Amino acid sequence: MALPDRIDPRPPRRIYRWDLDKTYLQTEFDTFAQLVRTALQKASEKQAVPGAAALIRELRDKGDSRLCIISGSPTQMRTVLEAKLKLDGVEWDELVLKDNVRNLLRGRFRALRGQVGYKLPVLLESRIRAPVEAEEVLFGDDAEADAFIYSLYADLISGRVDEAVLGQVLEAAQVYPDDRARIFAAWRAIPRADPVRRIFIHLDRLTPPAYFARYGPRVVPIFNYFQAALVLLADGELTAAQVARVAVEMVQTAGHNLLTLSNSFQDLVRRGLPIQAVAAPLLQALEGALQGPDAVLQAFRPLPDIVKAFTRRLAALGAPPPPPEPRTIDYLSVLDDARPRTHRARKRP
Amino acid sequence: MPARATTIAFDVMGSDHGPAEVVRGAAALSLEAPHVHALLVGDGQQIDQVLSETRHNGERISVHHAPDFVGMQEKPSEALGRTPNASVLVAARLVADGEADAVVSAGNTGAGVLACARTFRLIPGVRRAALASVYPTRTGHGTKQDPFSLILDVGATVDATAEDLVTFAVMGSAYARIISKNQHPSVALLSNGTEATKGPPRVVEAHARLARHPDIRFVGNVEGVDIPKGTADVICCDGYVGNVCLKMLEGVAETVVELANYAYHSALRWRVGLAMLSNGLKQLKDVTDWQQYGGAPVLGFDRLFIKAHGRSKAFAIANAGKVAAKAVSSDLAQVIREGLVPVNT
Repeated sequence: MALPDRIDPRPPRRIYRWDLDKTYLQTEFDTFAQLVRTALQKASEKQAVPGAAALIRELRDKGDSRLCIISGSPTQMRTVLEAKLKLDGVEWDELVLKDNVRNLLRGRFRALRGQVGYKLPVLLESRIRAPVEAEEVLFGDDAEADAFIYSLYADLISGRVDEAVLGQVLEAAQVYPDDRARIFAAWRAIPRADPVRRIFIHLDRLTPPAYFARYGPRVVPIFNYFQAALVLLADGELTAAQVARVAVEMVQTAGHNLLTLSNSFQDLVRRGLPIQAVAAPLLQALEGALQGPDAVLQAFRPLPDIVKAFTRRLAALGAPPPPPEPRTIDYLSVLDDARPRTHRARKRP
Repeated sequence: MPARATTIAFDVMGSDHGPAEVVRGAAALSLEAPHVHALLVGDGQQIDQVLSETRHNGERISVHHAPDFVGMQEKPSEALGRTPNASVLVAARLVADGEADAVVSAGNTGAGVLACARTFRLIPGVRRAALASVYPTRTGHGTKQDPFSLILDVGATVDATAEDLVTFAVMGSAYARIISKNQHPSVALLSNGTEATKGPPRVVEAHARLARHPDIRFVGNVEGVDIPKGTADVICCDGYVGNVCLKMLEGVAETVVELANYAYHSALRWRVGLAMLSNGLKQLKDVTDWQQYGGAPVLGFDRLFIKAHGRSKAFAIANAGKVAAKAVSSDLAQVIREGLVPVNT
């Protein structure tokens, strides 16, 4: 039998959507000087958030996933950002950057900082091209409006948000009419499904986790990517060995240790995330992962200490709290989260 | 060289403000000091409630559930006997077991000292522990020019012997060297006169022994009036006298505030005068704010216990955590051990 000339890639079963700045990259642009420094950085000077690259590599390992990156960085930074991703061994399918020069030339000054009018249409248009059955896991941060936008996106395609609410949200977020039209058009073109499994919010600004309770248990605030990997292990998205590799990268590159990892584990349990069951397979996997001769890994040993540290942190808790209840998000009551962050407009604890 | 990673066990329960201020203090510490981990000991549910609403770094905080606590008004020995899982005792046990390096507590002082006695070991050469306290003085001390001196003991050992007083001098001197960065702290004995022969026999004997001590900068006896003047960096006395002095200093400070309040409401010209002085008074208050210091140590054990003021707010608790971490990373117990060698030989 003759082989076909071209083999189409398998349709993705999973779609991972990542923000870049403060989610994947450790970026500071709160002041003008930081903004300039960030813009002038070479790829080799950019730092990924510890564990982020390892997590992406492990998520992509199965080969049936798609990595879509959507960033507020300007299109002029494409070359350096692509170089950085390649340096980290990250392969992507989509990399969407913001065309702020075009916004400037058209006098669309609100769009320079606006998040909803930029990210929501891109997310929806990307979803049109995805198979209906493809599930999604989204990664953002607490510096801008990621929790709001990702949740709204998830609830739009599942049909939990109606046209009237969407209209009010876009109005409040001061979205330009053409972006508004794109959002409505894309939304109507997407078959209804409920594909978004998790939304991870990297706590770059260390916003108190309870702040995100308004978005329900689908949104999981995380202090680091070991925590994201643990939740994905419990969700069946990763294996224990893969989580162990994420942990090892964090130990090797960012000075994490037994204490920070076991504290991170306990933090999730205290927040009601059902991850206790993954402790045993994870410890077994860590045993395998830590067999190398690397000096940092040697410091991570011996295994009985690791087991003791994790089990002590778990045992110390008493009865773990029940998992948080699912809730319907009242987008109109959290509209402030959708507005561009300025020094005055957003007041977070 | 990066600072040594240190875990501080915070006894979350039993302070005047309840668990919230202690948790917030530990949360603040987790943001400021990357090398310090906080182990919060107390009611897990209450701790998590506060923590989830407070900005903190979850990588540097963990919780150990302890269901009971000793109230401020409770008799320590009875309360600890009744509640073996009281937070202060659990925190001390965690330190003794190596889970943490030091305890910070703003709860019942007696229960704290008793928890240390039941859980920690005395440093060889130390017969009785001492509770030290910092108090504001007129002059600055050490390279940091701290406007505080150290007085010990203020209540742990009611009837100290001459040997105990010498040990207190060694321990206080070591603490001042580490915390106030005062390389040669002056040490004095509290007595009823500056002459070497003044005071009860134990003070006279301690004076003679301290005068011969090669590593202590002993400046002789001081009187009560010298305490607020800051004549010495470290003042030693037995717990009975120290506690009376400390309470009197607190009483005087409160009375001054009450008198000023009375004056403020009595006559317009006094009100105007106080208003004109308000900036200076605020500066004075800031400089001598005990919250800067966070807490005072129980000295003499192989592990460290920092007693924060019962009224401590988050700022003071965070500072108490920093003081504890600093003492641990400088190996205070070892410095005291070394200081005791000339005493014991």
